[in-house]
Amino acid sequence: MKIFVITIQIGILYLFHMLGVWISESLHLFIPGSVVGMILLFIALSTGKFKSKWVSSGSTFMLAYLPLFFIPVTAGIIKYPEFFTVKGLLLIASTAVSTFLAVAATGWSSERLVSKKKASVNALD
Amino acid sequence: MQQPFIAILIILLTIAAYLAMVKVYQRFTYPILIPVLTTTVIVILGLLAFHISYSDYMVGGKWINALLGPAVVALAYPLYNQRHIIMKYSFPIIGGVFAGLFTGMISGLLFAEVFGIKRDLILSILPKSITTPVAIQIAAGLGGVPSMTVVFVMIAGFSGVILGPRIMKWVRIRSHLGKGIAFGSASHALGTSKAFEYGELTVSMSSVSMTLCALLGSVFGPVVVWIFQV
Repeated sequence: MKIFVITIQIGILYLFHMLGVWISESLHLFIPGSVVGMILLFIALSTGKFKSKWVSSGSTFMLAYLPLFFIPVTAGIIKYPEFFTVKGLLLIASTAVSTFLAVAATGWSSERLVSKKKASVNALD
Repeated sequence: MQQPFIAILIILLTIAAYLAMVKVYQRFTYPILIPVLTTTVIVILGLLAFHISYSDYMVGGKWINALLGPAVVALAYPLYNQRHIIMKYSFPIIGGVFAGLFTGMISGLLFAEVFGIKRDLILSILPKSITTPVAIQIAAGLGGVPSMTVVFVMIAGFSGVILGPRIMKWVRIRSHLGKGIAFGSASHALGTSKAFEYGELTVSMSSVSMTLCALLGSVFGPVVVWIFQV
């Protein structure tokens, strides 16, 4: 029974995705269809008419396996053997260091902005 | 007759490899053993060992890839559950995303400049902290090479997921809020999948930051290029 509910709910998520793709393409948005779909689902839930239990099991299931869905894309790095040369490794290292700086800058500044704003304790645990 | 069989075989093997790697990660929780990385390595080694091309792999792989869209849509659910706290912390979220986006873009430009990287490659690195489908469009708009951008986006994702937690420890980012915003804005959806190890609040902070980073990145990418006269 559980698997049946999950399947139907994934179907609902897929419909939101298709609607998002359609909107993104017909309006020539720079935002991808999946993100438009996410925003649409969020709006639908926020109206209160669309009940969150209609997608809760399906969403929980999909998000539990989220990393799996990336694998076909990430394996695509195989098409670029030039990344495994000296210059390529230099580029990889620069990208990684730049990402570390971004992680530090983001986390640091968002925490500073909270503490200024007389924060409630729970989010800063 | 043969095509569907191969597709199913590829799907099953990929899922089996992933589930096995999840087990390995649960047993040995070293950051480098994150399942998405180890499974990718297994898939690549498998393709190389059996002389299978990437396009042949995608006969099955595209079905797994097709679930990525609905999975991104599903992020609306934790986002909705955490909506009050997101509204409450909208200021730190926006500030953090801005800080991360500009730090990432400008440091990327500087490194590329120091190492004498060609202009089209520099423009391909620029949107690296942004989720793949948006990053591709930004790169194309700037005059970069979209397929290269995909690789840089992945490297940004993996480096943030693998060493991000250590960086956070160094600069003393202790809150779920700060960690979530950092994962989402520096490492997009891969960072968000890592955020699941910290709980729903971190996931929501990460997915809202990832979305915001994509929106702001598409606006400010061209601005950064213009300011720095790339």
